[in-house]
Amino acid sequence: MIEFDHVWFSYGAREVLRDISFSIDFHEKVAILGGSGDGKTTILKLIMGLLRSDSGKILIDGEDISTKTEGELREIRMKFSLVFQEGALFDSLNVKENVAFALREYMNLSEEEVDQRVRTLLKRVDLEDAMELMPEELSGGMHRRVAIIRSLATIEPKMFLYDEPTTGLDPVNADTICKLILTLSREGKGFIIVTHKIFDAFKLVHRFIFLKNGTIIFDGQKEKMIDSSIPEIQIFLNELSPRPKATASIDVGERNV
Amino acid sequence: MTIKELISDLQDFYLLSSRGLSGLMRKPFYFKDTIEQMDYAGTGSFIIVLLVSLFIGMALSLQLSAELSGLGLKMYIGKIVGVSIIREIGPVMAGLVFAGRVGSGMASELGSMILGHQVDTLRVFGVDPVKKLVTPRILSSLIMLPALTIVGDAVSILGGYYIAVFVSLQSSPFYWSSIQDVLNFENVLSGSIKPFIFGYLIACISCYMGLSTKGGALGLRRATTRAVVVSFVMVIVADFILTRILLYVLGFSV
Repeated sequence: MIEFDHVWFSYGAREVLRDISFSIDFHEKVAILGGSGDGKTTILKLIMGLLRSDSGKILIDGEDISTKTEGELREIRMKFSLVFQEGALFDSLNVKENVAFALREYMNLSEEEVDQRVRTLLKRVDLEDAMELMPEELSGGMHRRVAIIRSLATIEPKMFLYDEPTTGLDPVNADTICKLILTLSREGKGFIIVTHKIFDAFKLVHRFIFLKNGTIIFDGQKEKMIDSSIPEIQIFLNELSPRPKATASIDVGERNV
Repeated sequence: MTIKELISDLQDFYLLSSRGLSGLMRKPFYFKDTIEQMDYAGTGSFIIVLLVSLFIGMALSLQLSAELSGLGLKMYIGKIVGVSIIREIGPVMAGLVFAGRVGSGMASELGSMILGHQVDTLRVFGVDPVKKLVTPRILSSLIMLPALTIVGDAVSILGGYYIAVFVSLQSSPFYWSSIQDVLNFENVLSGSIKPFIFGYLIACISCYMGLSTKGGALGLRRATTRAVVVSFVMVIVADFILTRILLYVLGFSV
């Protein structure tokens, strides 16, 4: 379980999180929503111990991680699979080397075994043919898929953490990523998705945490959120408003476009 | 920048420099990364150092020739060129070229890795970014800058030879015997220690600036500029301090 207990965090003089408290079970599927700069990604980094809170406690399975050393945090980090916004693939390595990175770092495998393992992983995301491509040659969707599968190369995480996984993607690619996220969570593993795309979040989760100016203004289920009268949430929900049906067509002779 | 921030920066720089250096003695060793960095730092800078050294050697020889001919001391061109290149100009010039090309590259590469969350990804994978990114860059600089300095010194002396012999019409054997005279232990030691220190300083400063990048493209530009400017200044300051120490240690009277 992840527990935030009155956590405060600031970048220099700018307060990013103010007195944040919540708890999330490892099997839960949660979306953290909010505008840019409201501290969504900061929460993920705090969970992973990549940042240290100014005050308050962050407990992972009951252990306070705020006092742990970098070496001790490694054990905590193994419980999660974190995928950064835009994938954060290593620029200088091709797809195969990116996926094989952790395998080579930690597992004493022969090159054939690494190759086999990478192929198997990439097959799960239909990217077996992209092994030799460099990150700059990948589309946005491919980038995210490689990043997601790379994070699973060596560990069996208890929970997935996704930072804006569908931001910047077209609807088709965003849908592919959503399906992949759901597929990976089928074995009872939960995930936290940080996003401002409420449309995608509604497809994936039931619990929503809404941040504004570093404080939680809503924490509850989907239905409760839809009924919420909080103006900021209403603005986000407008994205879900029924769109005009695509009944209009342009007549170009016998063909309708 | 407040004094508190300055002290905090210096403290972080000291920690990064010492952890980067102590990484040379701790496993795992990233040989492939080190070779890649050596290739980038050494092979990539080779032609630039060659060109700069050649023209500096020729310009120095030309200036000395113009000045010394009036005094009837043109025979000292070889000696002065040799001493100034080996002890002073060679290491400093190679250091400045290295800071401009390699230091800026290190800062911008690490800076873009920070902005693209690649350094955080390393930490998520349990990899020590200092060991993986800083140590190979320090080691490659410690090896390649002295190597470039030696090549640069040789080419500068050749440039000086061309001017001394073909323009100032000095005797070729005399030029080479003057060079041989200045290639003594004191001068060679004095010129050999500096590039190690410069290489270490440039790598640490550039890595520190790169890893402390904040604020997108503007922050990256700032970090790269600071890496080059601070490296330049530190090379020149360190050169003065080292010269003073080496002259004292080697028993030269000033």
